[in-house]
Amino acid sequence: MSSRQVSKAGRGKDWYTVLASQEFDRAELGETPADEPEKLLDRTIVTTLGEITDDFGENNTKMKFQVDEIGSDSVYTVFTGHELTRDYVRSLVRRGTSKVDDVIVVETTDGYEVEVQPSAFAAKKADDSQEKAIRARVREIVEEKAEESTFEEFIDAVVTGRLSSALYSEAKKIYPLRRIEIEKSDVERRPGEAEE
Amino acid sequence: MSAEDETEQVEGDRWGVAHIHASLNNTIITLTDLTGAETLAKSSGGTVVKQSRNESTPYAAMQMAEEVADRAAEQGISGVHVRIRAPGGNMNTNPGPGAQAAIRALARAGLEIGRIEDVTPIPHDGCKGPKGRRGRGN
Repeated sequence: MSSRQVSKAGRGKDWYTVLASQEFDRAELGETPADEPEKLLDRTIVTTLGEITDDFGENNTKMKFQVDEIGSDSVYTVFTGHELTRDYVRSLVRRGTSKVDDVIVVETTDGYEVEVQPSAFAAKKADDSQEKAIRARVREIVEEKAEESTFEEFIDAVVTGRLSSALYSEAKKIYPLRRIEIEKSDVERRPGEAEE
Repeated sequence: MSAEDETEQVEGDRWGVAHIHASLNNTIITLTDLTGAETLAKSSGGTVVKQSRNESTPYAAMQMAEEVADRAAEQGISGVHVRIRAPGGNMNTNPGPGAQAAIRALARAGLEIGRIEDVTPIPHDGCKGPKGRRGRGN
């Protein structure tokens, strides 16, 4: 009874290949079924950075893509953000040490508005003033970076960790840090979209 | 019956996502595609056991996982990523007894297991928790 239902439900649905955004060379992400192609729009798919770049050391970063264009048997996505896995962030947090977070919204040269959430993990408990100084410096560098790079360059710097190591080398002068990670990013607005 | 045979064992190296919701009272397995938009198979404790108190047992979870794995094979799914969750919120944040068993049974049934991720909802300090029960030392 139940198995009949399933095979009925699966019939008449075509599988579409989901391709990554152009920043990631349209790598293949997986497949998704649909009875009507229009239903594919706005579906989101989450993979890890390691899966896109074939690098097994990079599996702590979840990448989020959203379908925005439909081809004949494959669909094209845009990058909508990334996030570190929960267990990885948990492994960095230690008792008796400061975690300095910030939420920064920046605009790239080609008009993308991106929210990034960097976190600095200190070696010990930092004072309020030191935390503030770290945040100020981090914000400065992130904004600087966004001003001089395109969306593609910026996203690449964020997810591959180049931006966070740049932040680390600067911010550790203020207070001894263990590391800085960009915990999360979110694409808020694309060029041409109306400002809210 | 014959129609069913035709659809069976579609060629497949497709991946899916197995959402396993394991609470103390039940286990629910939902197999979806990678986007989570299409459900490919589902099963819960009530479909395999008679008594409701057995819905959360590891044995029930095994039966459910086998059922799900069967349907997965029918639809050409060869591997699954696992997203495991407990009730979360202001309730229990540790997955129930069915979680382990379900993953193991999925693997035993021939599905490849990819990433295993914990997706228990954690409040960013949301609602007030429930009040304590009498005589439980809280």
